[in-house]
Amino acid sequence: MKREISFRVNGAEATAVAGGGDRLIDVLREGLGLTGTKEGCGEGECGACTVIVDGRAVNACLYPAAEIDGREVTTVEGLTGPDSTLGPIQRAFVECGAVQCGFCTPGMIMSTKALLDGNPDPSDEEVRDALLGNLCRCTGYVQIVEAVRRAAVAGRDR
Amino acid sequence: MIRCEYHCPRALGEALGLKAAVPGARVIAGGTDLMVRLRSRELAPAALISLRRIPELAGVREEQGGARIGAATTFTDLLDDPVVARDYPVLARAAARVGSRQIRNAGTVGGNLANASPCADSALPLLALGARVRLERSGGSRELPLDDFFLGPGATALAEDEILTAVILPPPDIGARALFLKKGRVKMDLAVASVAVLLSMDGPVCRKVRVAAGSVGPVPLRLREVEALLEGAAPTPERTARAAEVAMRCVAPITDVRSTADYRRHIVGVYLRRALESLLGREAA
Repeated sequence: MKREISFRVNGAEATAVAGGGDRLIDVLREGLGLTGTKEGCGEGECGACTVIVDGRAVNACLYPAAEIDGREVTTVEGLTGPDSTLGPIQRAFVECGAVQCGFCTPGMIMSTKALLDGNPDPSDEEVRDALLGNLCRCTGYVQIVEAVRRAAVAGRDR
Repeated sequence: MIRCEYHCPRALGEALGLKAAVPGARVIAGGTDLMVRLRSRELAPAALISLRRIPELAGVREEQGGARIGAATTFTDLLDDPVVARDYPVLARAAARVGSRQIRNAGTVGGNLANASPCADSALPLLALGARVRLERSGGSRELPLDDFFLGPGATALAEDEILTAVILPPPDIGARALFLKKGRVKMDLAVASVAVLLSMDGPVCRKVRVAAGSVGPVPLRLREVEALLEGAAPTPERTARAAEVAMRCVAPITDVRSTADYRRHIVGVYLRRALESLLGREAA
């Protein structure tokens, strides 16, 4: 029923065993210990589990694990610099006070990463549209949009 | 979570062979709906057959003056496609209203249709555009008008051994314009109600009108009575108001967790009139 799959996570080779119905989020959290990715609703509504697969933001709770064979996955752990220093998007979230309880933050950051990779200078409307699938229960959206704007500026200055 | 084989065929022939060989197997594309229903054990298929790695099912290409949309084309791909942007902009407008970015990156047109939800966003513009669906099985294929594909909530004309492989769009109707309007509580919601209208004028009279409505019946509906009322007639404000009344009478909404039957009926009337007035250049949608 299950078979071995191999893929890349945050630039490193990884393997897992997956069958029908298994989800990417479980491979990341349980199999690989990458618990930065959170599971909120488990139905693709809240976006806490957002990761990037082959350049596109997806809900890891809806993504079949068997499907990542041969693909490239990026999680929030992949955005930190050497010695676990924060990456520019993570730093912008901290500096803008865009983190309250923090549960939605990894998903917010991954949606931001996917947005800025494709559009380094998004309008506020584009930011809000890119984050539509990420819910913050603490309702810190204003600071979150500010953080994305700051991360965009930091990215362009680099 | 269910335990079953997950097949990743690399060619359509292989997928069709598996569908014929494994009774009770389900096709999976983006998984945005299916994965939830597998986890809740609402579904327990004998096997899953993925369409994600079959090149001929992905993307849009021009075909016989129209377009062929592979069933596994994601909404994001649809939004980025130049043929859709040029010839069928109403479809891009509907694709933009599907779920969130994450959902659009995974969810596919074929999945949206095969799932046969009355609220399927892509179904409305496709009905208005006169789309057909291609159903293939090992050693054969057939095409149906999309109108005949939906049989009920979650039920389609697909036979056990068939896979929905493509949506076929006729050549764009020169001079026709179309609009899709969707009412949701918030932007990423499923539709409380939605309307797609295609309108082509011949001088002062409507030459061709297509009207489809979502979330107001057991399947995405074509409102043929509304079309007949408008075609060949001058779309005076009185007539568009009459069309809205007829539309409200034609639909069969239910009350559920998302809205009431009365409100859905009301929205269909308002949105139909808005879409017509906007397409006629009389007021903004």
